[in-house]
Amino acid sequence: MAEKTINRELANVINVRLNRQLLYYIDICTRCGLCKDACHQYVATGDVTYLPAYRAELIRRVYKKYFTRTGRFMPSLIEGREPDDRLLDELYRTTYACTGCRRCMYYCPFSIDTTWLLGVAKAMLLEAGRGSPILTELAGAAVMKGENIDLFKDVILESLKDTEKEVQQITGDASAQIPVEKTGAQAMYVALAGTHTILPVAVIFHHARLDWTLSLFEAANYGYFLGDNKLAKTIADRIVDEAKRLQVTQIILSECGHAYRVMKFLYEAWAKEKLPFEVKGIVEVMHELVESGKIKLKKDSIAEAVTYHDPCQVGRNAGFYEEPRSLVKAVSRDYREMTPNREKNWCCGGGGGVVAEPAMDEFRLKTGMKKVEQIRATGARIVVSPCENCRLQLDGLNEKYNLNIKISSLMDLVADNLVAQK
Amino acid sequence: MTEEIKPDLEIDLKGLLCPLPMVRVSQNISKIPVGGVLKAVATDPGSLADIPSWARTTGNEVLRVDKGDKLYTFYVKRVK
Repeated sequence: MAEKTINRELANVINVRLNRQLLYYIDICTRCGLCKDACHQYVATGDVTYLPAYRAELIRRVYKKYFTRTGRFMPSLIEGREPDDRLLDELYRTTYACTGCRRCMYYCPFSIDTTWLLGVAKAMLLEAGRGSPILTELAGAAVMKGENIDLFKDVILESLKDTEKEVQQITGDASAQIPVEKTGAQAMYVALAGTHTILPVAVIFHHARLDWTLSLFEAANYGYFLGDNKLAKTIADRIVDEAKRLQVTQIILSECGHAYRVMKFLYEAWAKEKLPFEVKGIVEVMHELVESGKIKLKKDSIAEAVTYHDPCQVGRNAGFYEEPRSLVKAVSRDYREMTPNREKNWCCGGGGGVVAEPAMDEFRLKTGMKKVEQIRATGARIVVSPCENCRLQLDGLNEKYNLNIKISSLMDLVADNLVAQK
Repeated sequence: MTEEIKPDLEIDLKGLLCPLPMVRVSQNISKIPVGGVLKAVATDPGSLADIPSWARTTGNEVLRVDKGDKLYTFYVKRVK
């Protein structure tokens, strides 16, 4: 196909997504530059191509070239650009590097959601056959697991046996179980791959006497990071179909920021249907269990200094600031807040699927410097964060910069500090 | 008796959690020739479903999985 035709087809990706929101984001940027100090990647590298405004500008220029009158006839007057190889290379590098933390949106006077624009960029890259190879493989593996669950069910159930024994030892109750495929359970818990996010939750739910069942699928959704909404929906469908089949009244997603975002804020729009169950995150559920007195925490049981890292998808993008803090503060004698925090918190640098990209290892550890500075300033020895991606990144930062900290999930913190039930 | 498989490359995935075992297998399979075998030792039980799913998706083949005490050894053949 002629290059011009290919370029037009790529540009058309913008056109088919062009709604009022996108048009507003394309039109309104004044290049004021306030976003530069908000982006941890620009601050750490000083590389202008990581400026949120610049990343979005690549999409704007293609739009101007193809969908404005001046752009069609004299594109150079308004910096219109073809989506050629050079632009696509740049788009790939800057788009898949973005962690989707949306800190820039908070600082932008017009609240431009660069992540939204980069969603269009990812769609354009996918149309050009240039999606991230590793994210494609990970998403493909999730779909494969969904389509062939009978092949994997036995190994999943077998691996749960040891975990169930651990739950029985910890709770001192030989009848404690990890229920699977329990029809009519009140809640279905969706963990991450492996058993490390199952054990603490099984202990907590046992204490709370919650009627629950465990999903056979993992919460993570690499189709979302890839930018392929159709694939992301297919991956989420595995969980939705299972929840419908089991007729649960709510699903509880593990400490996985993007998985919560997908299921809570995006899925219904993709599926064009209202989910017949409630979607909750484990952070809010643990908070509710404590508030309702169903579980009790050992007050001030941790003597070492503890700090809390707001995962972008749990805090800024979902609004859970005080719930996790109240749990951490309850068990900590010496709680120390990072500065800035809550909606102004710095991204750790590991979100958006970046931790899965080996080619970005050096870059993500470099761009985690703001988080390193924040942690060091607190002097804390324990960093709690309810997001697996954040914890993987914090592990990397801990090792590279000799932070000498222990990184904990909120689930583990709660499970390890439960008051035994009578 | 279990047949001995001679790997072309061995990688240590102990302590790594999802998605890193799959990522490291994907990263290293390209370092061996087509027909060669990658041996990967993991501790994450999630890899028991993840690595075979990845292999099926990418057209590679898991020849064998040895399960020890919380240790999982995968022999993955590079098919293409």
